[in-house]
Amino acid sequence: MSEAQLDAPKVVQRSSANLTFRRLMRDPASLLAAVFILALVAFAIGAPWFAGWTGHDAIEQYRDTGLSPVGLPVGPNHEFLLGADQLGRDVLVRIAYGARISLAVGVAAALAASFIGVTIGMTAGYFGGWIDTVLGRLMDLVMSVPFLLCALALVSVFGPSLWLSICVIVFFSWTTIGRVIRAETASLARRDFVQASRSLGAGNLSIMLRDILPNLSVPIIIYTTMMIPNSIVFEATLSFLGLGIVPPTPSWGGMLAEAGANSIYLVAWWLVLFPGLALLGSTLAFNILGDGLRDALDPKGRRVKRRRKPAKPVTEG
Amino acid sequence: MTTLLRSARTPMLATTAMLLALAVLPATAQETGGVLKILGSGDIDHFDPASVGVVTSNNFIRATQRTLVGYDSSLDPAEGVAPKADLAVELPQPGDDGLTYTFTLRDGAAWDIKGTPRPIVAADVERGIKRMCNPVLGSSFLTYFVSLIEGMDTFCDGFAKVEPTAEAMKAYVEGTDITGIETPDDRTVTFRLKEKAGDFIYMLSLPSAAPAPVEILDFIPDSPDFRKNFMASGPYTVADYVPDSTLKLKRNPAWTAESDPLRKAYVDEIELTFGLQPDAAIQQIQAGDADMLYDILVPPALLPMLQATGDDKLVAISVGRTSFIFVNTAADNNNGALKDVKVRQALNYAIDKAAIVQQMGGSYVAAPQNGIFGPGVVGYHDFDLYPSADHKGDPAKAKALLVEAGFPDGIKLKMPFRNINDEPAIAQTIQASMKKAGIELELIPVSAADYYSKYMTNQETTKTGAWDIAPVSWSPDWVGGAARSVFQPQFTFDGRHQTYNYTDYNNDAANAKAAEAINAADAAQAGKLWAEVDELVMGDAPVIPFISQNVVVYHSDAVKNFLPYALGANGDWSNLWLER
Repeated sequence: MSEAQLDAPKVVQRSSANLTFRRLMRDPASLLAAVFILALVAFAIGAPWFAGWTGHDAIEQYRDTGLSPVGLPVGPNHEFLLGADQLGRDVLVRIAYGARISLAVGVAAALAASFIGVTIGMTAGYFGGWIDTVLGRLMDLVMSVPFLLCALALVSVFGPSLWLSICVIVFFSWTTIGRVIRAETASLARRDFVQASRSLGAGNLSIMLRDILPNLSVPIIIYTTMMIPNSIVFEATLSFLGLGIVPPTPSWGGMLAEAGANSIYLVAWWLVLFPGLALLGSTLAFNILGDGLRDALDPKGRRVKRRRKPAKPVTEG
Repeated sequence: MTTLLRSARTPMLATTAMLLALAVLPATAQETGGVLKILGSGDIDHFDPASVGVVTSNNFIRATQRTLVGYDSSLDPAEGVAPKADLAVELPQPGDDGLTYTFTLRDGAAWDIKGTPRPIVAADVERGIKRMCNPVLGSSFLTYFVSLIEGMDTFCDGFAKVEPTAEAMKAYVEGTDITGIETPDDRTVTFRLKEKAGDFIYMLSLPSAAPAPVEILDFIPDSPDFRKNFMASGPYTVADYVPDSTLKLKRNPAWTAESDPLRKAYVDEIELTFGLQPDAAIQQIQAGDADMLYDILVPPALLPMLQATGDDKLVAISVGRTSFIFVNTAADNNNGALKDVKVRQALNYAIDKAAIVQQMGGSYVAAPQNGIFGPGVVGYHDFDLYPSADHKGDPAKAKALLVEAGFPDGIKLKMPFRNINDEPAIAQTIQASMKKAGIELELIPVSAADYYSKYMTNQETTKTGAWDIAPVSWSPDWVGGAARSVFQPQFTFDGRHQTYNYTDYNNDAANAKAAEAINAADAAQAGKLWAEVDELVMGDAPVIPFISQNVVVYHSDAVKNFLPYALGANGDWSNLWLER
């Protein structure tokens, strides 16, 4: 919380968000990552435009121009800029539509997981006692369930779908943020300002939402951002195993799986390279941005990283 | 029963071995000796000939067991499926108006019983047939034999009640007789049939009908002890076996070349290694570290590369295997639309077979298929009740039929598919071609393990309409006159549900024709009648045939005289030689 100092006109008053933004802008890696993500979002939104521009639909098979007579896909050329896949479909258009799936799943799953994680983590950390024990063990339980085994079982019972993919991803990713939030809340709940609020007659819900939650914004932002690439990779993994997005809807993991099937990757490198790069680029970008955000939002953490000295726990007055 | 595997796994029981292209060069000087190295992905399903059910295992049986009837391994497709006498001196003419077959056994053919040779006698032939219905691990071809050989049903009913221990089974087999099999002396065996069957001779070439020595009864069929004490009658026997890893065959000391007209046995040892991926296996063969593939097919993506460099080492063998879509007429989805023959015919018009052929790797690997019998099966003929230009489908005609059937806005169908190999690609190709005719397919990816058990062979899911149409495939159970093994299990219903006739399809006119065809005197007549059966069935359109598929195999430079063995759909191990 900054206080205005009226008698020092040379000092520009900056909000916390403004400071964060300036710190972020000074980090070229984060900046690049942010630009990449913006480009990716534009790419995903503009997918129909790419389809119109190339004249290729995402699921239409161009068997005469995209495939050889013996069914081998054609490589990148003027008609198929990133080549055609094993069914004669345009890889560029499919990657664009796949970006929609990846981003939608990544963001939706990350938001949902962070909502659940924050709710459960705050409840556990704030109330403590047996509630903490029960919720804590619940998190342990979820963390100990093998992800793929459980996903396989669920999909074979309900059949693969986009919604099931998101649910599976959410189910397996809320625990990390849940633990962090629980620990933070537990320490915040004992602070003076919480005691003050309580002595003024605020109820539990009010304290949690009005006093504690704003103080958790930094870890929430950081962890949610970091969860997006994980969700994207989860989705790709599910689709790669044929448990995620149902074909012919394009998804990056599904495209990689199709490239791996029947040794087609041995003759068509573009089927692995381009979806692989898209996946690599977006996860890397979100991770770098998440890292950058952490440094920018929490400059103290940054100093610790530079290893000047093991930092002493900083006590605030 | 092991029949589930029959249509679910890849290279199934073979029919005509038809060499399509890239034949082996004429034989140079024959060489004896060397070790033939073969690479596979999965282990042999059964050692016991009675229970062998997979096409690839027939190659192992060919090398280690003799049957009354066999085939020449040959580049000529017709010659490859012509029955030849193996253990028999000659193929008999049926007697008693086609109801009896009397075989005389060859001199010099012998068992290897723990290192000592013992002549193969007529009682061994009968014992082999008896073992087919043992209560532990029966034959997947049992029904064909039970329905033909007199007294076999009574024998098998009794056998089913026997306690599944080696002693009890031995006592039953040795103490009970099949009335329809007589062995007047050690060299003569006579089969008496319930009805005329032109294909009985072919059925005797199956591993299941191989003779069995009395000593084999001391072991539970195909148990580890059985495998350890393997008793061979062919040129090779088991030397060493590590399950799922390696199988080594050595020469069988009891076998003599003079007693065997069909096998030359040039190589000294055969070494099979299991657990390989197709890419790795092909690379090893290209490098000369191995010689042949066991159950691995050449991936279509690699074909052009191998065709460019591999000259004669790539061989396509037609096995009569067909792929088709079964139509669920048992469910009430879309107000029972699929019960209407017009809708089923519309589906047959809509499918783009040329696209699927292209997807499979072109004409070298697959051909458009229009009927229920694949190429090489007696009864296969070129006809198309639902024709279209270049087999590309006729969406307009399909739409018109849908309108006639009362679906002017098209129709939505659920299609599960197995999520392995090229099947997702084929499912999407089918989906794309149906879409042009206004038929919207909802694809349901299913794991390979669940596909048959959860969807196809589960009558409950079929009746409740969990699937509307579903791609499946079928290979005839033997070669040549094998139409019965395509028609009976899939397209007849006598009130008792058959596993692979998913929807209890039945056509009395076709059944009557089929009965005539089975009783037909010669192959030409049988072929004509079976062709009529094919057209009768396709008129009802219970299925949508799309392709027949070849088995594409590959071998190393060192392998010479690579001649396809029809039942095994691969080069004959016992007739090739090595030149390193």
